[in-house]
Amino acid sequence: MTTDAPIVHVVDDEAGMRQALTRLLRAEGVDVRAFASAREFLADYRAAESGCLVLDVGMPELDGLELQRRITRLGLTVPIVFLTGHGDIPMSVRAIKSGAVDFLTKPVNDADLLRAIRTALQLAATRRAEQAATADLRARHASLTPREREVMARVVAGRLNKQIAADLGTGEQNIKIHRGRVMEKMGVQSLADLVRAAERLAIEKPPGV
Amino acid sequence: MSWVTAIWFMTAGACLTLGVVHFLVWCGQRAAWGNVFFAISAVATGGMAGCELWMMHAESPIEWGVAARWIHVPAYVLILSLVGFVRVYLRAGRVWLAWTVVGVRTVSLLLNFLFTPNLNFREITGLRPISFLGESVATVVGVPNPWMLIAQLSLVLLLAFVVDATVAVWRRGEHRAAVQIGFNMVFFVFLASGQAILSLWGFTQAPIIPSVFYLGIVLAMAYELSRDLLRSVRMAEELRENIALQKQMQDRFRLSVEASPNGVVLANAEGCILLVNGRAAQMFGYPREEIVGLGIESLVPERFRGAHASLRSGFHAAPTARAMGAGRELFARRKDGSEFPVEIGINPVDSAEGTLVLSIIVDISSRRQSEAEAQELRDELAHLTRVTTLSELSGSLAHELNQPLAIILSNAQAAQRLLAQTPPDCAEVRDILADIVAEDRRAGEVIQRLRTLLKRGEITRAPLALNETIEEVLLLARPNLAGREITVTRALDAGLPQVSGDRVQLQQVVLNLILNSADAMAANAPGTRRLHVVTARRDGVVRVSVRDEGCGLPAEPEQLFAPFFTTKPHGLGMGLAICRSIVGAHGGRLWAEPHPERGAIFHFELAALPTPAA
Repeated sequence: MTTDAPIVHVVDDEAGMRQALTRLLRAEGVDVRAFASAREFLADYRAAESGCLVLDVGMPELDGLELQRRITRLGLTVPIVFLTGHGDIPMSVRAIKSGAVDFLTKPVNDADLLRAIRTALQLAATRRAEQAATADLRARHASLTPREREVMARVVAGRLNKQIAADLGTGEQNIKIHRGRVMEKMGVQSLADLVRAAERLAIEKPPGV
Repeated sequence: MSWVTAIWFMTAGACLTLGVVHFLVWCGQRAAWGNVFFAISAVATGGMAGCELWMMHAESPIEWGVAARWIHVPAYVLILSLVGFVRVYLRAGRVWLAWTVVGVRTVSLLLNFLFTPNLNFREITGLRPISFLGESVATVVGVPNPWMLIAQLSLVLLLAFVVDATVAVWRRGEHRAAVQIGFNMVFFVFLASGQAILSLWGFTQAPIIPSVFYLGIVLAMAYELSRDLLRSVRMAEELRENIALQKQMQDRFRLSVEASPNGVVLANAEGCILLVNGRAAQMFGYPREEIVGLGIESLVPERFRGAHASLRSGFHAAPTARAMGAGRELFARRKDGSEFPVEIGINPVDSAEGTLVLSIIVDISSRRQSEAEAQELRDELAHLTRVTTLSELSGSLAHELNQPLAIILSNAQAAQRLLAQTPPDCAEVRDILADIVAEDRRAGEVIQRLRTLLKRGEITRAPLALNETIEEVLLLARPNLAGREITVTRALDAGLPQVSGDRVQLQQVVLNLILNSADAMAANAPGTRRLHVVTARRDGVVRVSVRDEGCGLPAEPEQLFAPFFTTKPHGLGMGLAICRSIVGAHGGRLWAEPHPERGAIFHFELAALPTPAA
């Protein structure tokens, strides 16, 4: 977590366009970083940075759509607003299907662009919040003892305390204690919450259950 | 009637008839002095024959004496006329000898009338009848007068004169005339004189009959003259035929000149018009009779007259048939002062009046007009294909225009926001405005270039740097080529001379060649789409070459230049045909050849303008 202020990353091979977009967004009070090519962006982009990407489609070497594919492959979640000089419908459909926030044609009206950027930033914020929640759960899960993790896996799989005790070769009373610890450490109030947390953490069913 | 009477009458009659005939010939033809001398000779011979008959039939010595005295008169006339005939007809004989003959004979004639009874006898003692041709005729007995030697001397001189003339004629090569006239004259004068002398001196008893021998001369002369007459009749005939032929030729000449669809003007060395045909008169707007006699310069526009006169004298210095003003546009002037374009062929014609000039004039107004119309059509077609070609570029050009517009909009909207702030950021707004101006200019340039190519302007020829033309076209084609991942390499000769041409049309040619080359590389793998533009000069020619590394040429590259030939699915097939016609109209050539390594190469060449002196 480096910074909380959202940054808009502008990638356009046309210097004049880069400059104009930077001015517009700065005037709106948004932090901007401009890149002259997709490669430049990839070399300098830090995944943790919050914000979004304003991406020109028609660029030499690595074009906008290709950059989108690379970003996805890298597992980055930065939301993308596409800008193009001469876009067509198939191109825009492909971009949106691949998760783009919007697909705008140049010359672009400032209101449209800012609306799209706001949506993108919101999406970025949401995603970041989700990521933060998942990280918290993962930390909590990591704090469980191995026995507690075994118990949790069987609880979310729907086993009764008696069954779990049999599975693990211990008394039912012990299982109840572990179960209470798990609920406490994971910070959940109900079994339903625990199941959701397990889903988010992608905890697998124990073998033989 | 007796034989003697009959023969001598016939002789006299024949002589008189011939004399009259040839006298009449002379009357009709006063220059024929030979005929008049012959007529006189013939009449004199007839007179002698009359006097001889009188002598032969004389009743008394006195009568004989009178007759013998009078016979000297025709004899005198005969001798003079023979001398004259030789001088005039044979154009020979020594003049002093002729005058000597005439002088001596004149003396003898005068003496003849001083002596009694005559020159030949001192006294006549009697007449002696003798039998002649079965009849009794009178001969004379008396004392011969020695003075008659003078008469006989004149005959000897006459013989000498004639012999001399005959030799001269023979030497001149006129053998026939020498024999026919000269020899006969010598022969018969000798016989006549001999017969008379022998009788007069009393060596023989015979009547004096020289007229019989002179008749021989007269007949020989008549024969010769009648040959002349026949010859002149034949010549007259030939002449008539010649004249008819000439007239026919003249008619043919006149008719063909008249029927010529072109104007024909014949003028002399001084430039005076001698003859025109109807077409020429009509062409120049003159009534025919008015144009003849005018100076040829009247038919030339005022501004060319001075030059024309000096060119005309140049032509007469070395007259050869040729086209007038080769390579220049010629104009002629009508009577009303208006001008029309012409082509003129000039031919020297030798005639009795000196060297004349026959000019064939073709009015090429209508040809010029149809040429202009064809040119207009060609330009229209060129414009059409230009528009078609540009429509190929339209996608990339739209982008080229869109980009500055997008930048301008975003900049302007940023400025609006900056100005709404308190306090407004004026420094940033200034920068923005500067950028807006620059981007607007960029867009304006693209539009300007497009408009130049799209408009149907006048075709103008001006000195032109082809390297610049190529750069302008490449600028326009750049986005299109970039979009197709085509890289362009240039090798432009920095010292390329200028050419004379229409900028737009030559841009069209370059653009067409570049786009064709780009199309030819559509199937190439990315990274191998290379286009090469080269300019070079050699021998007063500028060459532009556009090379691709694409699919190459068809087996017969010339078919590329045929109208409606296309290898593209949406092609009109006019591009290269128009390019060739444009280059052709600029006096150059355009062709294609396969490149030895890969792809095709298109060249066009134009004449280089002379480099202005440094």
